[in-house]
Amino acid sequence: MVSSPAVLHVPVRPRTPGPVIDSHTHIDEVPALGWIDPPAKLVALFDRAGIDRGVVMPYTETPGLNPLAIEYTADAVAAYPDRLIGYVRLHPWFEEEAAALLRRAVTELGMKGLKLHPVGTLSHPADSSCVRLMDLAADLGVPVLFHCGDEPMTTPLSIGAAAALTSATIILGHMGGYFHVDEAIEVAERHGNVLLETSAMPYPAKIREAVDRLGAERVLFASDGPGCRPHLELDKVLLAGLSPTEERRVLCDNVAELLGVKI
Amino acid sequence: MTPLVVDGLGFIGPSLFGSDQSKKSLLARMEAAGVDVTAVAVNRPPDYNLAPANTWLAEAVATSDDHLVGLARVDPNHRGAAEHAEHGLSTLGLHGLLLHPREEVFRIDDGRVDVIVDVAGAHGRPVVVSAGWPWVAEALQVAELAARHPDVRFVMTNGGQFNISGLGQFDAELALQRCANLAMFTNGVYRQDFIERVIAEFGADRVLFAAASPQFEVAYELLRVQNADVPNEAQRARVLGRNACDLYGLA
Repeated sequence: MVSSPAVLHVPVRPRTPGPVIDSHTHIDEVPALGWIDPPAKLVALFDRAGIDRGVVMPYTETPGLNPLAIEYTADAVAAYPDRLIGYVRLHPWFEEEAAALLRRAVTELGMKGLKLHPVGTLSHPADSSCVRLMDLAADLGVPVLFHCGDEPMTTPLSIGAAAALTSATIILGHMGGYFHVDEAIEVAERHGNVLLETSAMPYPAKIREAVDRLGAERVLFASDGPGCRPHLELDKVLLAGLSPTEERRVLCDNVAELLGVKI
Repeated sequence: MTPLVVDGLGFIGPSLFGSDQSKKSLLARMEAAGVDVTAVAVNRPPDYNLAPANTWLAEAVATSDDHLVGLARVDPNHRGAAEHAEHGLSTLGLHGLLLHPREEVFRIDDGRVDVIVDVAGAHGRPVVVSAGWPWVAEALQVAELAARHPDVRFVMTNGGQFNISGLGQFDAELALQRCANLAMFTNGVYRQDFIERVIAEFGADRVLFAAASPQFEVAYELLRVQNADVPNEAQRARVLGRNACDLYGLA
């Protein structure tokens, strides 16, 4: 469970001047989920929120369910080269094929990270197929973004078990969801290769706590947009009451340095 | 004219689980965020005894300058739960019932809940369900109860779901589709576009702003509604407060 949040009476204030990079968003068109989110929709929401750039990935995996996802992502980045940064989302069960796709995505298509979602893939983070893919990501110099929530195989402790097996930089997307946020912070304290990401997690005070316990350099702003509206998710960080220096790190510098992105 | 903002649910009083929130603290959060009225229930008290806690709540509401209205929290596991509900609505003058299947440990569609809902129905008062909890208060479980009491209005917290992959949205929509007497609170809902979609598909009268503090932060939860893309400001005003006024019978 989440421990009691601190009382926050911080009004939403103008953010500290400087660029903003959203480190987790989606571009994809999945009628079965009712999620039709082409790149232009996301970029318009970035404009509304004052977000300069964003990391994009699809909702489902390649190989398997979404065989054209890599091309869709690459095309989106090509259409908005100054706004979008691509991650490749892969299914670890397709071991050699997935590894080859990761190499191609990073070395040929310029993608900057790997996304793994155990709910979609039924792959435990500490399973050997996942760990091998994470090791390859480390060799290629890109981070691994995990969906990290309350579902089985996505909890911070499950991903933490994997973090101990690889040197890859692991980002806990949603920093534990609704009821595993305290554990996400604890796992990041235990493993130096684990970072937290703020999207959709609904507690502004927990961002403050994460920065206090881990340091501002271990926390990344993200929205999980466009469904989770980027302007709302940005307001959440502003409600956390960070100092201007901390805010700059969380909103931009951390992910820019991690991905080698100039802005 | 600025629309009235009514937080559909908040919790006050000492909590067995450590999430205390005083009346004073809630009122401060409301003022800071711009909330005019909050419907409050008691936290689960450390002594497990809801009846005196409801009496305390009624006194807190009576001295709130109309900023608070009260919900009687009832435990179906407790012998005399229906009498507690009756006492809360008639003697204490509270405006609805609050059922919390996770903290009181019961399944919301358990037959023992029916006698409690009947009391709400007899008084024309709503039943608020702390919902989204796996096994005990999933959206379709709430719908099972709501379908058995079509003349009683129900509201499920958290949009009827706790799932940060969006996997709870299908069941939540099915529940709303099945039961016209069921609505949802906005607190903590994953994806703002789910709130927008429910308004578009089921109508703005099926969605109510709530923060469910102290678990969720009032100021942030209010932004979730204030910044949502709804078709017009009349619909937003309904979600922000008008619906809650109708639900709880506020002037």
